[in-house]
Amino acid sequence: MFDVILANMPFLLEGLRMTLLLAVIGILGGTILGLVLAILRYRRVPVLGALAALYIETVRGIPLLVMLLICFFALPALFSYRTTAFAAASLGFSLFIASYLAEEFRSGLRAVRPGLTQAGLATGLRPGQVFRLIVLPQAIRRAIPPLFSQYVRLLKFTSVASVIGVRELTGSALLVNARDFQPVIILGCVALTYLVVCSLLSFVGRLLYARLAIRS
Amino acid sequence: MSYQFDWTPIWQNRQLIADGLLTTILLSLAGLVLALCLGLIVGTLGASRSRAGRLVAGVFVECMRNVPLLIHMYFWYMALAFLRLPPFLCAVLGLTFYSSAYVAEVVRAGIGGISRGQTQAAEASGLRPWQVRLLVIYPQALRNIAPSLASLSSQLIKDSSLASVIAVAELTYQAGSIEGQTFRTFEVYITIALLYLALVTLVTRGLMSIPGLREPPAVAKVSDV
Repeated sequence: MFDVILANMPFLLEGLRMTLLLAVIGILGGTILGLVLAILRYRRVPVLGALAALYIETVRGIPLLVMLLICFFALPALFSYRTTAFAAASLGFSLFIASYLAEEFRSGLRAVRPGLTQAGLATGLRPGQVFRLIVLPQAIRRAIPPLFSQYVRLLKFTSVASVIGVRELTGSALLVNARDFQPVIILGCVALTYLVVCSLLSFVGRLLYARLAIRS
Repeated sequence: MSYQFDWTPIWQNRQLIADGLLTTILLSLAGLVLALCLGLIVGTLGASRSRAGRLVAGVFVECMRNVPLLIHMYFWYMALAFLRLPPFLCAVLGLTFYSSAYVAEVVRAGIGGISRGQTQAAEASGLRPWQVRLLVIYPQALRNIAPSLASLSSQLIKDSSLASVIAVAELTYQAGSIEGQTFRTFEVYITIALLYLALVTLVTRGLMSIPGLREPPAVAKVSDV
């Protein structure tokens, strides 16, 4: 019954590796870009702050699939460069998830009590130092649970990359299914794999939260 | 940048785009209504006193939301192909089961946020259990969770774009077919991105402007002793 899975195991595992790689790239790229956008918006940097807000609100209103199609078809056509499905998916995931992560960072920043900033300024730290040494570390620690739920969302969303032809877990499974047509077993095993991987990632998030949480 | 913009193919295919938009709206609406119903049931079970009920709800939520929506869609479309469901229905069912897990978590948190004293007072005044829920708990919980439900609705509209992979002729699918005929790649995808943005903004603003839902009312805190 599970012959089809066993026979295609190396192929499917390669797909899983690709899924995890896409997720890691998206998480790293999205977190860096999201943090920058959040800081620009939170500190109301002239012009750039408004642009960050516009970017965040626009991308949050667009489906991920459309974002990937833009990165794979529209942007290369507009700026006439060549891209691969993998590179386009990495770019699309980073740009997409950054807008959600930015909002999580920003609500973390807003949850830091103003008294702390005042106390920091009163001890003679410069505004930049207060932000870097006091406000930002607390904001990031507060933001851990929502950040990880976005990371889990991104991990599931990597399956959409199969639509533009990336051979990650879903894409590989669809190829195997196209040859051996046993959708119940194949899709069931793929669903189970996502369930396990996503649960693991949530678990890591909870562990980090238990160690670093700020409870108010 | 040597790209020559040409927006005429978009205007020529406006009928296709309008059809796609209508399908997206219908798909989202059907998915939303069913996901709200299923989510309300599962969420109520998750907030119930019965341990078995909480366990069932927990397992349902974890299994549904930790599997990508795309897999949900393919499952209804391919694994359950013997049911011979039309693609539109497969997409509705996929959206419903996936989103209902999120709705259930929100509902559970909403019910959990209502002070126990409310239930106790309602029971003491002689209301039946279903009356307690319908008349006392849900109205208060709904107001508190309305912002979360509004953001889930906009999420669902965006998620409905994945129905294009199982050949439901919604907005993203129509964009692909127009692109295939006209090669106006950039214009097509920007147009539908803006349409999604407009739809999502409209729905979120619309839901939040319903009187009484905008601001969660100050719930009188009754201490649980």
